[in-house]
Amino acid sequence: MPMGHTATAQAGSGGLTATEHRLANGLRVVLSEDHLTPVAAVCLWYDVGSRHEVKGRTGLAHLFEHLMFQGSGQVKGNGHFELVQGAGGSLNGTTSFERTNYFETMPTHQVELALWLEADRMGSLLAALDEESMENQRDVVKNERRQRYDNVPYGTAFEKLTALAYPEGHPYHHTPIGSMADLDAATLEDARAFFRTYYAPNNAVLSIVGDIDPEQTLAWVEKYFGSIPSHDGKQPPRDGTLPETIGEQLREVVHEEVPARALMAAYRLPHDGTRACDAADLALTVLGGGESSRLHNRLVRRDRTAVAAGFGLLRLAGAPSLGWLDVKTSGGVEVETIEAAVDEELARFAADGPTPEEMERAQAQLEREWLDRLGTVAGRADELCRYAVLFGDPQLALSAVGRVLDITAEEVREAAEAALRPDNRAVLVYEPIEPADEAEGTDEPEGADK
Amino acid sequence: MEYHPQPTPGTARPWAFPAPERGALPNGLTVLRCHRPGQQVVAVEIFLDAPLDAEPEGLDGVATIMSRALSEGTDKRSAEEFAAELERCGATLDAHADHPGVRVSLEVPASRLAKALGLVAEALRAPAFAESEIERLVGNRLDEIPHEQANPSRRAAKQLSKELFPATARMSRPRLGTEETVRRIDAAAVRAFFDAHIRPATATAVIVGDLTGIDLDALLADTLGDWSGDAGQARPVPPITADDTGRVVIVDRPGAVQTQLLIGRIGADRHERVWPAQVLGTYCLGGTLTSRLDRVLREEKGYTYGVRAFAQVLRSTGPDSGGAAMLAISGSVDTESTGPALDDLWKVLRTLAAEGLTDAERETAVQNLVGVAPLKFETAASVASTLADQVEQHLPDDYQAQLYARLAETGTVEATAAVVSAFPVDRLVTVLVGDAAQIAEPVKALGIGEVTVVSG
Repeated sequence: MPMGHTATAQAGSGGLTATEHRLANGLRVVLSEDHLTPVAAVCLWYDVGSRHEVKGRTGLAHLFEHLMFQGSGQVKGNGHFELVQGAGGSLNGTTSFERTNYFETMPTHQVELALWLEADRMGSLLAALDEESMENQRDVVKNERRQRYDNVPYGTAFEKLTALAYPEGHPYHHTPIGSMADLDAATLEDARAFFRTYYAPNNAVLSIVGDIDPEQTLAWVEKYFGSIPSHDGKQPPRDGTLPETIGEQLREVVHEEVPARALMAAYRLPHDGTRACDAADLALTVLGGGESSRLHNRLVRRDRTAVAAGFGLLRLAGAPSLGWLDVKTSGGVEVETIEAAVDEELARFAADGPTPEEMERAQAQLEREWLDRLGTVAGRADELCRYAVLFGDPQLALSAVGRVLDITAEEVREAAEAALRPDNRAVLVYEPIEPADEAEGTDEPEGADK
Repeated sequence: MEYHPQPTPGTARPWAFPAPERGALPNGLTVLRCHRPGQQVVAVEIFLDAPLDAEPEGLDGVATIMSRALSEGTDKRSAEEFAAELERCGATLDAHADHPGVRVSLEVPASRLAKALGLVAEALRAPAFAESEIERLVGNRLDEIPHEQANPSRRAAKQLSKELFPATARMSRPRLGTEETVRRIDAAAVRAFFDAHIRPATATAVIVGDLTGIDLDALLADTLGDWSGDAGQARPVPPITADDTGRVVIVDRPGAVQTQLLIGRIGADRHERVWPAQVLGTYCLGGTLTSRLDRVLREEKGYTYGVRAFAQVLRSTGPDSGGAAMLAISGSVDTESTGPALDDLWKVLRTLAAEGLTDAERETAVQNLVGVAPLKFETAASVASTLADQVEQHLPDDYQAQLYARLAETGTVEATAAVVSAFPVDRLVTVLVGDAAQIAEPVKALGIGEVTVVSG
């Protein structure tokens, strides 16, 4: 009997359904009813992300996402934000490697407004896009980059890891935020061309989830989106095919002003959407998810050589996924000590696999994460779009938790054996340096140099 | 494409902030419960009346270590076993200490609530506080301090507390303790703090989620009902005072590409009549990217990814109890734009004081603050957290529900008066974490107060 099934029957897919529709212009529409709360989420995924960017224009997909909030044919300036918030809604947009999403969560009676706004910018953004908003949002995005990555200790670690794990020229070699130089180089004409290429109804999925009347909602979608012409200008992303493993151990040592030594590593893992990816997810959870994981127990509890130790997973459909190890050392502990312990734990796990108790815990944790994601209309809308865009079938979102619970311990062991090995990782080591200025606070210790 | 006119809204479906059912167990534990259909992940928030102010002299951080130690083993289970059992329930458990007290937060699928609540009860009833685990937590905490020092926003918050509050006040010092005080903490100190302050009679448990098919009374009797303790004694709560003389402190970070700004003082808490007007006015000033600050600093000038104004209750135990909220403006701007950004920020405040808010701004703010409530409180965790905030601030259970009615009744004039008195241009303490060599001179030239520089 598979472990950890008890919470699924009611939740997860339980009770949730979704219907699919397609307009004549190619826009795919997914509807899911849920009348418990008088709210509904509108979510629009465009099948374009940083992997579609070309050399010299990294960051363009994300910068463009900002421009989508600067007005369109019938919406002035910041009107999109003002109208949604003034209607008691919340909204945002995000850009990742494989997609750009836009979402509004609205009180039920304001759903039509969100559809009108999304349609207006899908159909008529270029009527409003000008040099002034381009220059302004370029500065905003550069400050976003500084705030989230450049001005934070270890802030650029993930960028360095992806650059190592995916070779130069690969579409996933760079992260969505892009480089400062490329952000500076982007032109208004680049933005216009990007819109003309990728922003079309036949390159998008719209999901509407919550307290909706499906017939009425579909009529609104037809009314507002139906007249937007489709086009076939989209360029496919560059080929993301890579060998399943890196084939050697890559290594970069960074000397930076950080508070402690760190050992990080990126492992290539199976593509999202496969059983092997779910198995790898469970392996990373047993090894490095939460406070009862093997690495936490070994490094933080027993050896006491680390402040924190864990694994993260970036699921990717168009290239190998990425497993991210992150260990911050305690006191003056050397990276070699940590590395030896990590290798020992990974090798043991690859040989023996998870215990039944570990499988149960990992599945229970991933199950709760799914319940959390599907527990809000916005989360559900986003997952429906994800499975529709990346895998062609939104229904897969509702059965995802069942697939995770179906994985066996042996599959988890195999996933670890295949991927969590030294010749499939890019290692990133941080060695702290003293600040350039000799001035040092009086009440604080000096990073790892104690 | 074919253009259509902007649609008009339909009829709003009524929604109200959920009313919890209040009760008490024989051991004195107060219980608030709230059934939220469809919310399969149940949230439990337990408030423990163990404020930071109660930490013994020289042992800042003992409340934090105690909170963390609650999940590090009991009389029945080792630390590793406890963590494993919790995760087997698919649960997350978080405990942290702050000025008003300790909060223990559990989230777990409804089907495994019984098991997880049993573990939490065990942790409260009979925590092990093993010497070796406390040593580990102390070591771990000491390792965390340099990471917090290096983080610009954490560093700014620490400096602002030091500036605002008298050196003798607990509030002036880091919530989680300093290297010096944390080093002194041992198992005996943790046990003593627990014995002195943790008991069911002064605790409240808030339980929210889809409780269909769960016999909560029986479950509580078997779990938290088993926890015992004496009645406890009321403790005097010192009033919060702060020195908000307008001034600037630069925490020097040579080479920083951005300046982290945190501009603050203290002001009204939720017990004061002005609170709804202050919420409304503060939202208009800096609640979102279409508020006054971001309209200029972000959307016109591009100086920042975003600047927010907010009010956060520090501690509040009733009307005229000397409670207060931190009123602050925070964000980060590129180093070169630091002077111009602060200049614009002060201009926004002066213009607001001179001309007031517009009716349209007030209307949009009310629509948003009231309208987003059903979205904001969709999950069990968000409802539980707000109910527990009400408990820890000694507010009635219908406070949040009433707040929405009061916001809708608040006029433009009141909102203007509240935000102008919350953020007076000459009574703001400005902390800048950034490159002093580049920003000190431009900031001095603004005349927003005396400028001092401290090291990183």
